[in-house]
Amino acid sequence: MSDQLELGPPPVESLSDVAWARVERGLWARLDADVAATAPASRRWLYLAAPAFAAAAGVALWIGLRGTPAPHAGVSDDPLIFTTSGAPSTVSAGDAHISLEAESKVVMSRETPTAMVERGAAWFQVAPRGAQPPFVVVAGDTVVRVIGTRFRVARYAEVTTVTVEHGLVDVRFHGVGVQVAGGQSWSSDRPNEISATMRTAHEPRVTPPPPPPAPVPVPAAEPPDETPMPPVRARPPAKPVTPPPAVSTKTVDPDEAKFNRLAALESRDPATALAGYLELSRTNGKWAAVGLYAAGRLAMDLHDPRAPTFLKIYLRRFPKGKNADDARKLLEGDHR
Amino acid sequence: MGTAALAREQDLALARRAAAGERSAQRELFHGQRAAVHHTLFRILGSNRDLEDLVQDAFLEIFRALPSFRGDSTLTRWCQTIATRTAYLAISRRKPQAIDLALVEDTLPDSADTRRLVQVRQAARRLYAALERIDVKQRVAFALAVVDGLPLAEVAQLTESTVVATKTRVWRARRDLMKRAAKDSVLASYLEELGSRREGVDERREP
Repeated sequence: MSDQLELGPPPVESLSDVAWARVERGLWARLDADVAATAPASRRWLYLAAPAFAAAAGVALWIGLRGTPAPHAGVSDDPLIFTTSGAPSTVSAGDAHISLEAESKVVMSRETPTAMVERGAAWFQVAPRGAQPPFVVVAGDTVVRVIGTRFRVARYAEVTTVTVEHGLVDVRFHGVGVQVAGGQSWSSDRPNEISATMRTAHEPRVTPPPPPPAPVPVPAAEPPDETPMPPVRARPPAKPVTPPPAVSTKTVDPDEAKFNRLAALESRDPATALAGYLELSRTNGKWAAVGLYAAGRLAMDLHDPRAPTFLKIYLRRFPKGKNADDARKLLEGDHR
Repeated sequence: MGTAALAREQDLALARRAAAGERSAQRELFHGQRAAVHHTLFRILGSNRDLEDLVQDAFLEIFRALPSFRGDSTLTRWCQTIATRTAYLAISRRKPQAIDLALVEDTLPDSADTRRLVQVRQAARRLYAALERIDVKQRVAFALAVVDGLPLAEVAQLTESTVVATKTRVWRARRDLMKRAAKDSVLASYLEELGSRREGVDERREP
């Protein structure tokens, strides 16, 4: 400090709006899980579950948690952990049967009928609960309460999808609840919409790998030069459910498939995902813009100093891109 | 009803609604207190690294503890006390982190303000790297009293301690830091400057 400037205390660097949105999302999800975990529960569920868990241990891959369980698990300090790698697996927990898809991880409470999908996807078949407290599945910010049904909860990157085969579940997301009935599905990507599914009861209960679904659906009418990224802001309250369009099968663009793989990889290996997004951004295809914006957003999340550069290049190349507004907001919120 | 009494009533009403699980009240409380909670955590931790999780942890504790809020202090002060406790626990649990001082190159200074900002960041990085290596209670007290410039009485309240103990912790922290700054002129001069500011605060607020 050669020139003797008066420095003063270091400035408090504010969190970006995106970061605050993430904090808030996580907070409400943890509070919801808290409420679910402390609901008066019948211990009968635990006694019934014990032998089933013991039997299930032979089928499920049992891997210890790396360190302590995630604090947002809401499933007790000593949870049961089921993980699958290359192949799907099925476990029974009391009156619930859980079919884990490949590359999935489900954490279950020993004390309350609560499960958390940490990654991947799982089908849950829950017998009617009667007077017992509802079975609760937590996936990211999404809390699914069920009385008795068969449904699938998938969590890839920040997107959670709930698909109900039969019965009815109550899905809470950011404090807003919607009900998803048999033959319908809901995604945190579009929390105000409920879609019909083509899945029927005759379909296999455990789907083979590789499973990651597209977290960013492509609008059919307009070529997707870009697709908006997973939500970063609080969304308005849910509107009444509109009749859903049928889900159609379409051919997946290789770049789109690559993008989806990278999106699924973000939470596990963000550095590789970032490198992949940058690689995608160097192509001339329509997914280059999505990849470049995703690189900027992820770099910002990772506090990577290159983040503003990526976003500025994105805005220069795609000034009217679908993510341009979000890119500008990210840049405005970057006080580093 | 005076302004303070009115504010206390409002704090109590909001706390009761939020404790009852009313999401709109919880949101109001979160948005009203998030800046204060973040400020406290940032001052103690020194950067936004891992701060998102800590802010969440702090608010979760705040919501869990809301039924015990009696309005003895302002809601903001009460939230900051919990934030301080959260930061203390977080630092106690983790291992000392190796901080790469040259991790991010600052931009070249082109004005007095920019130059000051670059220098304060460099000095702050060195300060917090040194703080990583001293006793946690001393670190928390030093960060709040010297870096943030709070009066010792307020720091004692936030750390749920006495003024005497707080003063001792700050003194010991400064002594340890000065030892570590023996070979770091940037840190030494920054500590000196913060120390003189602290004395100014003491003179004004703590006769």
